[in-house]
Amino acid sequence: MDLEKLEAILASQSHEFDVVVRIAKEEDIAVARQMAKKLAQEMGFSLADTTKVATAVSELARNIYRYAQQGRIMLRKKEEGKSGPSMEIIAADQGPGIPDVELVLTKGYTTYERSLGIGLSGVKRLMDSFAIYSAPGRGTVVVAEKRRRRF
Amino acid sequence: MHAPQNLSALARKIGRTPAETQLWEEFLGKLFAAEGAQEEAALTSTLRSLAEELEEEPLAAKIAALAAELPEFPATRVFQLALKACGEKRREQEETLSHLRQMLAELATPIIRIWTDMLLVAMIGNIDSQRAQDIAERLLNRVSSTRAKVVIVDVTGVPMIDTVVGGFLIEMFNATRLLGAEVILTGIKPEVAHTLVKLGVDFQTVSIARDLEDALRRGIALTMEETRKRRELALSLAKSGVGENDERGAF
Repeated sequence: MDLEKLEAILASQSHEFDVVVRIAKEEDIAVARQMAKKLAQEMGFSLADTTKVATAVSELARNIYRYAQQGRIMLRKKEEGKSGPSMEIIAADQGPGIPDVELVLTKGYTTYERSLGIGLSGVKRLMDSFAIYSAPGRGTVVVAEKRRRRF
Repeated sequence: MHAPQNLSALARKIGRTPAETQLWEEFLGKLFAAEGAQEEAALTSTLRSLAEELEEEPLAAKIAALAAELPEFPATRVFQLALKACGEKRREQEETLSHLRQMLAELATPIIRIWTDMLLVAMIGNIDSQRAQDIAERLLNRVSSTRAKVVIVDVTGVPMIDTVVGGFLIEMFNATRLLGAEVILTGIKPEVAHTLVKLGVDFQTVSIARDLEDALRRGIALTMEETRKRRELALSLAKSGVGENDERGAF
């Protein structure tokens, strides 16, 4: 079930999204972050939420660059009925995959030498919804969503 | 062999601006003139100018259109050359970019001595691992060479702090403290504060000031405290006569 979902998202086409950024170099992380910030501003997110979205995208893009070398960050606006509009963030790569998804969501867990190990769990806390699909050898997909709040 | 006027007519048809038309004419002229290795370089450079005049996509479309017009047009070879020209163009752009980035790294983070024994690091813009490394190295060198006792780090100009930038700051703070200087962090914006708490990045090891004024005041208090302690120590040593004995012993 999860594997199907993973393959489906990995195979998704660019035109289904508002913004697609390929991550292959460190500079691409900044590009992804900038695009996410712009989209969030366009959608009328508050300054705090725009910063949260940009930070989450930055973390996800960094994970792609670090562990899978390349992948894609895909963003799209979702106009949904009662919960209001939201932004969907998908980070997809065909990297080594994560054997134990629960473990990587533990605060402080990292396989990377100079890292705080709070990236993914941090993203989960920054977003309204968060799901991760991964299979060793196939890749990893993170689907997160942030709703726009009205003040 | 084509008549030159034929080629110029074609160039006028393809080109949209006078400059572009001229380039096409030059290109077609060279293409149908004598062949050779020298020719290749000349063709590539003309294609390069065309690529600069146009975008890559319209250029490809126009080459395809030319191939449709002229049956003997060597499309494969021209595309090969065009790709080569575009590659050259991109390489040069990348070079310029890395040069600019280097310049930015030098410009963007001034380390200023704002008070006796006190340094100010004003961080501006997004921080990537390369810049982070550079800032940390320069700061640590300055702290050690100036024997600064307080370092104020102002992050007002940093739009976003993620776990990597946060981790880098913590590392830099710890290293600075190892050199014997106190760190005061200031300039965290409300939206950044919220994000940092959600992420779980905390700066417990350093003191945090509300703004630069507060940081400066605290820094001055720290250095004055240090001077006062030193003076007291010197006085008490002088009273007990230890200092004189020490001095005699030293010489």
